[in-house]
Amino acid sequence: MNGEMEILEKVKRAFGDRIETAPKRERQAEIRVPLELLHPLIGYLKAQGFGHLATISCVDWIEEGEFELVYHLWSYERRFHLLVKTRIDRENPTVETIIPIFRIAETYERELHEMFGIDFPGNPNLTPFLLEDWDGPPPMRRDFDTRKYVEEKYGMVDLTKELWERQEPILEGENGED
Amino acid sequence: MGLFRWSQSRSLWMMHFCTGCGAVEMPPTMTSRYDMERFGIIPMATPRQADILLITGYLTVKTLKRVVRSYEQMADPKYVIGFGSCTINGGMYWDSYNTIKQLDLYIPVDLYIAGCMPRPDSIIDAFVKLREMIAKGEANGWIRYRENLEWYRANQAKVFNVEKWSAIEP
Repeated sequence: MNGEMEILEKVKRAFGDRIETAPKRERQAEIRVPLELLHPLIGYLKAQGFGHLATISCVDWIEEGEFELVYHLWSYERRFHLLVKTRIDRENPTVETIIPIFRIAETYERELHEMFGIDFPGNPNLTPFLLEDWDGPPPMRRDFDTRKYVEEKYGMVDLTKELWERQEPILEGENGED
Repeated sequence: MGLFRWSQSRSLWMMHFCTGCGAVEMPPTMTSRYDMERFGIIPMATPRQADILLITGYLTVKTLKRVVRSYEQMADPKYVIGFGSCTINGGMYWDSYNTIKQLDLYIPVDLYIAGCMPRPDSIIDAFVKLREMIAKGEANGWIRYRENLEWYRANQAKVFNVEKWSAIEP
């Protein structure tokens, strides 16, 4: 644990008390950072060898009115996984893009934009990604009612009935013979 | 007519369009282990030369659009096999926000294979059943589609979230 954790002390020295660090398990630690220090911190970590942004994930803390963004960074030299966590307002979720630091973030941010409705100013490509023709609210938010949406859009299939007991599709015309 | 149908049922080309996880069952079916070519069925790369469209598993709305487009490019007569539970009632995606639940609302299905996943044996079994249906003239989903095009179009437009939808786009 000791040699790997010196990166946390280094970060602490560079950024002071405004960030919190905590080891999580072997080869993994988390850093909690206020939003305004996020970009300097990620830039700093990249310079320290954390050259791989594995993904950006998001947690919906609906009771606290916040989203938590988690930037997963991996260092090949240190063989160490860092989770950089930052909280943002749930009502107006906006985070400046980190494309200038990690080019790959374009896709991750695009997905978060679609699934959680988070805005990333500076990202040129926040277009629909996996959900084509989507008409509902962002589906990964916890206040999105999946079951209700499915009932309205696709019609819930009655699972207690077998296929041949269900109402047949109403079709006009003969089931023609050629 | 009988001879015509009989010969149709003996040479079926299956379109290589795999959706969802069911696709993993296709390689053993196609290759020497189960060898579906014994029944005159071979995979075909383009819709225009294919007779069977096999929907292997769940369909997202985005894929459904491509499926309908491919289906309409196929030449008559054409047959659709719904493969796995997902095409019947959504399967394990029964309450997922982005997959369709009942395939026959959007394209006509001639035959379903139940299971998650159906093994190659069941697929071969379905092909044999389809062959019999074709020979008897029972597999006429393509006629149903043509006769009820508006009904299918309305269902498609509903999930594609537009007033009117057509497979041919400008």
